[in-house]
Amino acid sequence: MLGEWAVKLKDVRKTYRTGSIEVPALRGISLQVAAGEFAATAGPSGSGKTTLLNIIGGLDRADAGEIWVAGQNLQLLSSSELAHLRLQRIGFVFQTYNLLPVLTALENAEFTLLLQGMPARKRRERVEKLFSEIGLAGLEDRRPAELSGGQQQRVAVARAMVTEPALILADEPTANLDSASAIALLDVMEHLNRVTGTTFIFSTHDPQVMERAHRLIRLRDGQIASDETRERQDAGVTARGDAG
Amino acid sequence: MRSVLLLVKISWRNLWRNPRGTLLTALALGLGLALLLISLGLLDGGHEQTIAAGVRFGPGHVVIQAKGYQDSGSDELLLPAQVVSRTEAFLQTPELKQIVRGVSPRLLATGLLSSSANSAGVKITGVNPQDEPAVSLIPERIVEGTYLSNDKPSGVVIGSELAHKLEVKIGSRVVLMTQALRQPGNDTKNGAGEEMQSTLLRVSGIFRTGLQAVDANIIHLPLPAAQALLGVPDGQVTQVAILLQQEGASPMIARALLKQLAGEPVEVLTWRESIPMLAQILGLDHAFNYIMNGVILAMVGLGILNTILMRVLERRYEFGVCKALGLRPRQLAVMIIGESLALTAISLALGLALGLSVNHYFATSGLDLRWIFKAGLPPALVFDPILYSRLSSNRIIWSVSIVFAMATIISFYPALKAARTELPDALKAL
Repeated sequence: MLGEWAVKLKDVRKTYRTGSIEVPALRGISLQVAAGEFAATAGPSGSGKTTLLNIIGGLDRADAGEIWVAGQNLQLLSSSELAHLRLQRIGFVFQTYNLLPVLTALENAEFTLLLQGMPARKRRERVEKLFSEIGLAGLEDRRPAELSGGQQQRVAVARAMVTEPALILADEPTANLDSASAIALLDVMEHLNRVTGTTFIFSTHDPQVMERAHRLIRLRDGQIASDETRERQDAGVTARGDAG
Repeated sequence: MRSVLLLVKISWRNLWRNPRGTLLTALALGLGLALLLISLGLLDGGHEQTIAAGVRFGPGHVVIQAKGYQDSGSDELLLPAQVVSRTEAFLQTPELKQIVRGVSPRLLATGLLSSSANSAGVKITGVNPQDEPAVSLIPERIVEGTYLSNDKPSGVVIGSELAHKLEVKIGSRVVLMTQALRQPGNDTKNGAGEEMQSTLLRVSGIFRTGLQAVDANIIHLPLPAAQALLGVPDGQVTQVAILLQQEGASPMIARALLKQLAGEPVEVLTWRESIPMLAQILGLDHAFNYIMNGVILAMVGLGILNTILMRVLERRYEFGVCKALGLRPRQLAVMIIGESLALTAISLALGLALGLSVNHYFATSGLDLRWIFKAGLPPALVFDPILYSRLSSNRIIWSVSIVFAMATIISFYPALKAARTELPDALKAL
């Protein structure tokens, strides 16, 4: 395990309120994820998986606790600073792909690079290299509607990876894919994790996906029920995440 | 800059996600602009025709009178002969000759016209038969006989209603009786200026304008005959009526004349001052039309607001994703405003094409209103029943600008709504 933390949570709590009804989603989560980890959070619906990812990704704010990501305390950042952090250091992969339907696969993948202001040639080179690495070569000019679910999700992974973020958060990335596509996607994600050292945290309730995770954090009722780390088969992963 | 280009690209492509919806919306907004242009074109054309008719039944686009005549209406207030000759000479200069359509000196007074059957009070207009047709519409509205001419020094032209009342026809003899005019500062103690004068005239023409006040009261007779009857020295008249090629030149010509006649006891008035009631009626019509146009614009505006807002609400999830990826609220707002402006640009192109085409048709072929009056034209219709559209470039620029500004302002609300997309709620929308 690497000595630098990509994510560090300390007693994080979150409660959703609907009128007078309070639904606790996270009840004091403390967690550390090292840079370069390939970790999964698992648990039944309502266990807090998505809330945990949203809070780590700065999409939602915790009621209490400390959240450190890429060396920054998210609780102290403004909305604008959080947006900047997401753009520069965090990649997201959503359950329903969420590609912009009016853009081609290549344009979707380079969307965040454009927002970062990267020159066109550099953008294109980086996206094309990534596309050929994850089996999307030749599909650059297709719109999302012209791609299969598995291909769309790989484009989404490319969009998340292309900025070379410190952390990628994937909320049930295989939930809408068939088994073969799910395995192919996991192969891609694991390959990128191994090659680039990017930290991956994904949520799932698919046993097949859990098996592939190097670390499995099980949640139940907003608390960590178990946290297992497995022996990595690969070696020599170079960490790229910032220390927390 | 690059991200702005991306946002513009996304905005443009978003428009064509639903081409039918986009085209329908653009058509609705374009139709609003087209309606605005058509309405303004017909309004301005109608006003131009009304003014053209109004000034030709009245004192022309510009009138020169003795100072105080407009307020007092006193027949004794006459223009000195040198003012008339200086005015005519000035308006003959090459630059002004192109602008001026006609100049007619007139002597105005009141009198009593009698036939063997009846008599009626009349407004006497002494005119030069060769000058008046270039200014007045009355010579064009002769329905029987002919207009005045220099070879008929005792001819008189009267309106159809007056002819009916006096039971006269072409060639009938009538007697015009009036009081000789008293010149200001030229009072005679024996009251010579107040003597009743009369002259025998022969009806040479009968006109019908449709205006009861004109057809029952106005008579035209040759200026020398009128001057002799009223005891006015040769060359003196009540007014010089000037008709221009373009109504818009009225203030400029009035200013030039005022400067030319500086020091003379005269007043130079544009038709707005000499026929204030016509100006007020047109002003009222303008105001009413502005309200109607405001209603059209408001309806179109609400249509745009609804469309853009629906587009924004439908894409809340997409905006959530964009925000999650790092798009800032301001950039999201720019995207929506860009989308709205692109839609507006398409709409304006459609609206301009439609509006200008219809305007061109109405400007050349006219809008024939005669079908409304199948049973016959109303007697009070003084203008041509075929309405010709007139649309100035200023009107086009104004209309396009106001629709563009309205669409831009309206797009701010949906843009704000998109910018305020809340995370992570927006991501739960699907």
